[in-house]
Amino acid sequence: MSDAASPDITPAAAGAPATATAGGATQETTTVVEFTQVGKTYDTGYTAIKDVTFRVDDVPGHMEIVGILGPSGCGKSTVLRLIAGLTPQHPATTGIVKVMGKPVEAPGADRGFVFQDYTSFDHRTVEQNIAFGLECRGTPANERLELARDWIQKVGLDVKRDADKYPHELSGGMRQRVALARTLVLKPRVILMDEPFGALDPKTRYAMQDQLVALSREVQATVFLVTHSIEEAVYVGDRLFVFSNAPGTILQEMSIPAPDRPARVMQREPDFLDIVFSVRDLVEGLEMYDRAGT
Amino acid sequence: MAPLPLLALRATPSLPVRQAAGGVAIVLVLLAWYLLTSGATPEARAISPSVFPSPGEVIKGFPSLVTERNLVGGIAASLNRVFLGFGLALLVAIPLGIVAGSFRLFGAAAQPISLFGRTIPVAALLPLSLQMFGIGELQKVMFIFLATAPFIFHDTARAIVGVEDRYVDTARTLGASSSHVMAKVLIPLALPDIYAMIRAMFGIAFGYIMLAEVVDAGAGLGYILLQSQRRGMPEHLVGTLFVISALAYGIDALFRFFERGFFPYRRSHE
Repeated sequence: MSDAASPDITPAAAGAPATATAGGATQETTTVVEFTQVGKTYDTGYTAIKDVTFRVDDVPGHMEIVGILGPSGCGKSTVLRLIAGLTPQHPATTGIVKVMGKPVEAPGADRGFVFQDYTSFDHRTVEQNIAFGLECRGTPANERLELARDWIQKVGLDVKRDADKYPHELSGGMRQRVALARTLVLKPRVILMDEPFGALDPKTRYAMQDQLVALSREVQATVFLVTHSIEEAVYVGDRLFVFSNAPGTILQEMSIPAPDRPARVMQREPDFLDIVFSVRDLVEGLEMYDRAGT
Repeated sequence: MAPLPLLALRATPSLPVRQAAGGVAIVLVLLAWYLLTSGATPEARAISPSVFPSPGEVIKGFPSLVTERNLVGGIAASLNRVFLGFGLALLVAIPLGIVAGSFRLFGAAAQPISLFGRTIPVAALLPLSLQMFGIGELQKVMFIFLATAPFIFHDTARAIVGVEDRYVDTARTLGASSSHVMAKVLIPLALPDIYAMIRAMFGIAFGYIMLAEVVDAGAGLGYILLQSQRRGMPEHLVGTLFVISALAYGIDALFRFFERGFFPYRRSHE
């Protein structure tokens, strides 16, 4: 990253309002994603989320990565799919979901999505998979090929070796790199990631976390990362949302230091582990509170 | 006593053993056939030559099957009818199936009609095809069409529906419109299944044509079969059966060969 020499991006102190303007300078902020009392109840009567309210601002030069933690089935994915505008979660039953100030109506390339399940198109090579969105956008063939190759490299794949491979020839880590490249090549404003590294081995996972941090900064995107791994959320995130169980709602919102060293290094440091432990205590406390049935 | 390893329940023998087993079975059947149809005089044979020919008679009858009975012309006539009827069914039923699979309302609307078409036994369609299309070539072609189109429609729609939602969701978040999703995701991802269905259905259509050819066909494999029976030439009848089996196998092998070229990304080829 070119801006590595600049002073550490100062995170908002834990507990401080996340909408605080960075550095106190008079920078214009726009709201990227805003949930106002959002709830989702399905036809079956099951309520996935209830009263979810938050706001993630865009401060120029400071792209936020929001980690979303919580027990299984707490509606974390519902939140992502509502931002993306994907059915059947979309539309919300109550409340308003806004992206860049406008209510979400349908999915679009401004909100990229990386799923946990591998979703590479089987009939397309790596290169063609990455060029998919550009193809839909109508980018000329030579231009989209060039961009696709560019991104093959950026996500750590090899153009010569991998560009013409089909998904079934790739490992899980490589498939998720393709998924990341396919999304980022479109320069989305928001990147939604639902357990994207859940199926990867620890070493690959660290590498992917670093790649995600670097690349999301490069494309200037706000990232929402749903994960089961507290370490991952604490490392990658600038901010954490901790969700309670069904119906899911945000029980705690906290700011944490942004990642500024490689995942493998930072995730072993005592300071980092202190935060992880305190978040773990918090999550476990919430789960116990939740189980108590209150 | 423990069973022999090869006879254990669901045990898979090696390929050479499996091939040898198949070979032994063929030899046994041929041997039984030979023994039941051998004898110095027709009276000495366990099965009379007017009922079933001996292997030697079938082989000896083969040249006349080709020359006098115009076997090659018969094959051409039968294949031509299947290609026309089946081709027409593909042209009509695949696009309709794609629409029905992509837009569930159309699928729901077509469901009862498709069910009707698929539950009618194919032989029951024969009188109707004669009634509607006469006894000429058109009837043969339309019989194949009527017999296969409902299945092609149904299986195409099912292949499209079978494409998992996550691919559609992914495409949507990459900016794909509905027509993009159909053209770039649903159809290509369903195509291997559609192709497999075409392959299976063609084999069935090839079987159906024999049924249509027993009525005033003038040419074709079914016609040869029927004429051989009427004229009391069982060696031609049995010889033609072998030809049909070999032909069906050959066509299927051709389909399999092209499958590899069409879908290089299918895991199953590894």
